[in-house]
Amino acid sequence: MARGGRDTGQDSRGSRAPLAPPAMPPPGRAPVPPDGGWGWAVVFGAFVSIGFAYAFPKGLAIFFKEIQDFFGTSYGEVAWISSIMLATTYGAGPISSILVNRYGSRPVVMFGGLLCGVGMISAAFCTSILQLYICVGFITGFGLALNLQPSVIIIGKYFLKRRPIANGLAMAGSPVMLCTLAPLNQFLFDNFGWRGSFLILGAILLHCCVAGALFRPIGAATASAKTQDALKEKITEDAMKMSSPANVSMENKTEEEGGKDCCEKINQYLDLSLFKHRGFLIYLIGNVLMFLGFFAPIVFLAPYAKHTGIDEYSAAFLLSVLAVVDMVARPATGIIANSKWVRPRIQYFFSFAIAFNGACHLLCPLASNYVGLVVYSSFFGLAFGMVCAMLFETLMDLVGAARFTSAVGLVTIAECCTILLGPPIGGTLIDTFGDYKYMFIKCGAVMVLAGTFLFIMNYYNYRMLAKEEKERKTKEEDPKSVRTEKEGRNNWNKDTTQVGPELEPLREEQEGVKKKMNGTNEF
Amino acid sequence: MPATFAARRLGLLLPPLLLCISFSGGNPAGSDLTTQDLKQPSKEHQSNGSFVQSEILLPGPHGTLLERSISLANATTVELSCKLDPNSRLKSPQVIWKRGNETISHTTKTENSWSIKLVIVDSSKMGSYSCILKGAEEISATFHLHVPKIEAREKLITYERDTAVMVCKADSTPMAWTWYMMSGSKPVVINESLRTDKYLTDRLSANVTRLRVLKLTKEDAGVYWCEAAFKLGKSEKKMKLTVLSIMAPLKPFVAIVAEVVILVTTIILYELYSKRRGKCTGEKVCDQTEQLKSGEGQ
Repeated sequence: MARGGRDTGQDSRGSRAPLAPPAMPPPGRAPVPPDGGWGWAVVFGAFVSIGFAYAFPKGLAIFFKEIQDFFGTSYGEVAWISSIMLATTYGAGPISSILVNRYGSRPVVMFGGLLCGVGMISAAFCTSILQLYICVGFITGFGLALNLQPSVIIIGKYFLKRRPIANGLAMAGSPVMLCTLAPLNQFLFDNFGWRGSFLILGAILLHCCVAGALFRPIGAATASAKTQDALKEKITEDAMKMSSPANVSMENKTEEEGGKDCCEKINQYLDLSLFKHRGFLIYLIGNVLMFLGFFAPIVFLAPYAKHTGIDEYSAAFLLSVLAVVDMVARPATGIIANSKWVRPRIQYFFSFAIAFNGACHLLCPLASNYVGLVVYSSFFGLAFGMVCAMLFETLMDLVGAARFTSAVGLVTIAECCTILLGPPIGGTLIDTFGDYKYMFIKCGAVMVLAGTFLFIMNYYNYRMLAKEEKERKTKEEDPKSVRTEKEGRNNWNKDTTQVGPELEPLREEQEGVKKKMNGTNEF
Repeated sequence: MPATFAARRLGLLLPPLLLCISFSGGNPAGSDLTTQDLKQPSKEHQSNGSFVQSEILLPGPHGTLLERSISLANATTVELSCKLDPNSRLKSPQVIWKRGNETISHTTKTENSWSIKLVIVDSSKMGSYSCILKGAEEISATFHLHVPKIEAREKLITYERDTAVMVCKADSTPMAWTWYMMSGSKPVVINESLRTDKYLTDRLSANVTRLRVLKLTKEDAGVYWCEAAFKLGKSEKKMKLTVLSIMAPLKPFVAIVAEVVILVTTIILYELYSKRRGKCTGEKVCDQTEQLKSGEGQ
């Protein structure tokens, strides 16, 4: 694919003449993301896996009343099961990332599926609420965490040009699974009680192993450690020939590698240098802010409907409307985000989606009757689907597929706190004021704020990226090729510390695509 | 389709909205994922325990059911009124109050409303009272006076050697709770006379009672009910207990696990087969080299 100008010095995929590490063995080259073929089977697997990870904790709510009666606990104690499960699913993100970096997606997802199954099966035989916390909360939650991250990661490995579509389709698994699990859980509960249902749900969760089996490894992911070391040796050899400050850092690196101290080892599996990455920090702050107001409206939609006098079935219908619109919105958003107008500015689209979400919540108190609430639910479903479809796509876009593994782990553990805080804060607001509208106003305001923050900061980020790109271009055209090589290696080393060179052309390909598009805009 | 569906829902929605009671709103605290029940405004609340007033506006919007449900637990004086909407077409109707077939005298009339006062001390005066407005057309509204209803889950599924827990909850505090079970075709009271290692009853709070049946067997399946005794009558709720053996969920469980194993094996076998079909000896990398070559050609 020819691109005009020497934006990143690439005329064809994979070859970056002045900066390519010399004598790279062909098997170590990054495989070009197939953007199709077996990739669609992987998308289906991710669909199932992500669907279970997001929908399963919500689907369990049907059993809580019975469990509460059975163990004689209060409602709050039973609700802890959900909270622990959610907290573990998000909090175990970094562990999941480390395991994927080490072993690849497939073994991790299959192990996660097994863990989920075992957790729920043992939950069927529990005799106290504490055992339920452990079996359903921790074990199943950890299994779901091992499902969620690798599914998102492997999409980045299989898709580049059509990645937004793949992401949108995979994330559509969540509403589809929710719509399937809710009546299924009700059916199981009516026929088998809560113990039998947990037993059967454990078997159903084993389908995550099936999804994992579909995640055929691509690229020499597990060989990255070996080739990375080999490459670093090569680099230090070449660096010995030059004298520059960068040399010192590289020598330090070899010393550290030789010493293998704890930080370096962690850094090999979990890229903590992401915290210096501008785009990552912007994403992190914006998302942490957004999640404060993201889930609370869904949690309180049905109670709010009942509060305004609507009967239980109509209130449940509102949630169905939301789920159906969500189901359609996610792939549609993926297709839109993949179009050539939106893809280079996908961060703006994401910020717009968040602000739109917030605007819906702010307008919700104006809905005075059932029809108004149905309209609100549809728009909410649309906005919710838009944000979810692009949640991981934008992160991939910012940090690149190579570092995405670690990025997603770090992001989920940061989001964990605000996700857990959101609904209780909303509940407190409702209790204090006795009115739901303050909760909606709070959620709407937080999300509009997050959307605006992301919009402004991404505008700044795009500008900085364009500036850096211009600087890099001028340096490349500098006749001193030695200096160019050193700078290039600096940049390369800085940006791809822990993943092997196989994925470097991929990242630069992607940056190239983005920058080419950016170059056509005036910033 | 959505429009008529919504209209039907609106029809269900309007009666509660138009009733002139200010309902307490309950406690709209949500917890994480489920909700607390908020009282629907069709129930009357006891204010101060001894005097209750309730009013229905007639004729009310089109298609609404003119009924009110009032639950009473203790001796109360009740005033029921039917108020005529000044905007309605009906002018100066003739109003009678009835309970079943008997007509009630002692009605009070103010400008636009007709009411009756009832002093209720026992169950004889409970029931349904209607006001009938006879004019160009006949409209009626009904008040149902009853003892507090009991909430409980009606179907329970448990397993052998497990424990069954049945909980009954009432709106007001009853004088006494009694549990019964159907043995053969006769109701049997569950109290201390029965084995205490098998049946345990306790009162979780003033309004809530619980029955636990331990060491379940198939013979324990059947109908159980709890009865709450109020000053103004008794109220009961029936529950059906089903006892399953462990085999019941085990069959679908084994079927699903078998299906998963078959799927995983099929996928892995297909992968090995397609790898062997490639020219290389099982190295995926070789296929990718071909891809790269074709990619660079672009």
